[in-house]
Amino acid sequence: MSGEDVVAITPDKLNVEEITEMVKCPQAGAVTVFLGTTRDNFEDKKVIKLEYEAYVPMAEAEMRKLCHQIREKWNVEKIAIIHRIGIVPVMDASVIIAVSSVHRKESVEAVHYCIDSLKSSVPIWKKEVYGDGSCNWKENKECDWAARNTDSQSS
Amino acid sequence: MESAEVEVRLLFFAKSRELVGRKEDTIKLPIHLLPAGLWEGILAKHPCLQPISDNITIALNQEYIAREETEPIVLKEGDEIAIIPPLSGG
Repeated sequence: MSGEDVVAITPDKLNVEEITEMVKCPQAGAVTVFLGTTRDNFEDKKVIKLEYEAYVPMAEAEMRKLCHQIREKWNVEKIAIIHRIGIVPVMDASVIIAVSSVHRKESVEAVHYCIDSLKSSVPIWKKEVYGDGSCNWKENKECDWAARNTDSQSS
Repeated sequence: MESAEVEVRLLFFAKSRELVGRKEDTIKLPIHLLPAGLWEGILAKHPCLQPISDNITIALNQEYIAREETEPIVLKEGDEIAIIPPLSGG
């Protein structure tokens, strides 16, 4: 039932209570929620903020594909995948994934799959801005065309 | 045989957007071409992308296409081609 899936890209602060409520339903005995939050360090550098951008229509389409993949693999009730863009301060959530299921195993596995797959397929980018004024576009290790993955193929 | 050309939209994101200095452009490309030819055409117009050319992928009308794919693609006027640097969502 893809009608039960909610996917969104938003510039607004994410509200975990609200997103959890979206997936609750009477027949579900479990709701698994994952929050990806902004860290304040990278190696020895102090991170002051992250800036996210997305190719919004494609990102939402790829997130809907993830919902279909999850439903092919697990019997889950409702799915919500919400990603924030723009400036995300340290400790705020950049992404929240919530899945409900009759028993907990399905929703726990589905959420794990969903965040790993989101990192490898959904066109969203983040730039870390450091305390010394420098900045850096990050690359997910799950992304096939990240430098660390293409370098290992050529050597 | 010279293939007819169409004008398509180019969208840049993240590092590619910063290198090119804009979010969008248009480009004339042959209607029939291989994905490798698509990469070549874009790099010829925007050589500033050369340093990251091994680490970008391309989406045609919001679907990823593989650079090494040997099936030709068919472009039409107004198609949307996005330059996708390594992902870092989550």
